[in-house]
Amino acid sequence: MLEFQNLYEDLFELEEAMDKYEFIMEYGTTASSVQEFERNSNDLIKGCTSSLWVKYSNSQFTCQADSAIVKGLAGMICDWYNQATNTQRQSFSINTLTDIGLAPLLSMGRQNGVNNLINTMKVLETGEA
Amino acid sequence: MRNRFPFFKEHPDLTYLDSAATSQTLDTVITDTGTFLTYKANAHRSGHSMGAFIDEKYHTAKEKIGEWLGITDPQDRIVFNSGATQGLYDAIQLATRRQDDFSVFVGGDFHHSLTLPFHSTGYNHCHYIKLTESGVLDLSDLEATLREDQSEVKIIAVTAVGNVTGTINDLERIRFIAGQYNAITIVDACQSMGKIHHNYEGFDFVAWSWHKVYGPSGLGCLMIDPKWLEKAPVHPGGGSVSAVSYLHETYLTNAQKFESGTPNLQAIFTLPNLLNWLIRNQSNILAHDKALAVVANDLCENNPYASQTGLITMVPQHGTIEDFTMLLDAKNIMIRGGNLCAEPLVRNISVNKGLLRVSWGAYTTKEELELAFTAIKEADARISKFV
Repeated sequence: MLEFQNLYEDLFELEEAMDKYEFIMEYGTTASSVQEFERNSNDLIKGCTSSLWVKYSNSQFTCQADSAIVKGLAGMICDWYNQATNTQRQSFSINTLTDIGLAPLLSMGRQNGVNNLINTMKVLETGEA
Repeated sequence: MRNRFPFFKEHPDLTYLDSAATSQTLDTVITDTGTFLTYKANAHRSGHSMGAFIDEKYHTAKEKIGEWLGITDPQDRIVFNSGATQGLYDAIQLATRRQDDFSVFVGGDFHHSLTLPFHSTGYNHCHYIKLTESGVLDLSDLEATLREDQSEVKIIAVTAVGNVTGTINDLERIRFIAGQYNAITIVDACQSMGKIHHNYEGFDFVAWSWHKVYGPSGLGCLMIDPKWLEKAPVHPGGGSVSAVSYLHETYLTNAQKFESGTPNLQAIFTLPNLLNWLIRNQSNILAHDKALAVVANDLCENNPYASQTGLITMVPQHGTIEDFTMLLDAKNIMIRGGNLCAEPLVRNISVNKGLLRVSWGAYTTKEELELAFTAIKEADARISKFV
């Protein structure tokens, strides 16, 4: 069973917050869900302080962002979601990020953005289903 | 001066460099807020001794502002409000109400609060005054457009110090030019109050917020030329009148006529002691600010303008504003980034990327600036690997 903790355990071994962010940025360059696509306003996640675009097709999420950190974070979430079981997807929320220690890296405004991302992903998934 | 700000004792691990957005708070402001809340009463017309005590503080606050700014009639000239945004809105309403033939000349370094209220006023023409290469208002551009303008009434709205540029506009010259055209003048003094010395006499309206001057949030001032006391208030209501009948009203004759409703007494109560500190330390504060501008200019790279006071901005070389603010936040360094409520100018300067802004106050040290600019360079190096 896929565990978020296992997927990103390297991140949490890093003590320096800047190193954690660098890990996230690096993840964004290799994440399978980070893909080039035509950015349009329909795919823009509302409520993010930084621009983030997410698409859903063939049961897979892909994402793009201007910010290297946001791209890495969104890539982590989309990668995890793409591999998760239905049960894991249903229980996934902003609290999952809090449980694994990612929340301190996100200011309240950015937690709102991540929350919007998760909610949008669930809506997109339901819409396609 | 730093030891008068409890924030730094409480949070020695934080480097606060967002003072242009809001300053940290002087110790007396914190103490006086508590004193007010444990002896809370309303000002004006209370008739009891607690109310009289608050009344005295209210009037003392205005007298102290007068002493600080060098004006002799503060009860007629100082209007308390919720902040500079309200002050500028009210000024623009007073200046444009019942005018149907007027043009507006707004400084190109405007904060949104200085220009948005004009959008619905029905002006003939709105000219944005160009900036020189050094980031101050190009007053030859202002003069040229004033000369050509045919409107009966001309309104000049400028910032004393740009919240993007950190440069000082020539208010003396602007006052002179305005006088030649009998123009109405509105000054946004948010970034100049408590940082540099300006003579604000001779302007129709000068607005600022106290939360940027080591004071309380939710309180601002609009300094008005006494001639505007002849106008009816923008927000008529209780507290603005001396007499009311079923059909008529008589407004107060001093600046209180523009303060309908209960003012933010909790905040006003803190001003006398804050102003004592500002008056006593004025020369030190101004010298310290100037010295930090020199340090910032030496350390900063990719800044569109050399700072003269209070703040410096820079265009990120790699990545986005969010990347930088998050990475610096990871080092407990608080800086601001984005459009800085001056979107047209920031978009032009940064080619739509936004700007990073480092800003300081009387409590900021040279070492904090060095720490921040070192961190910005480190962040840039880390981001550059992935973009």
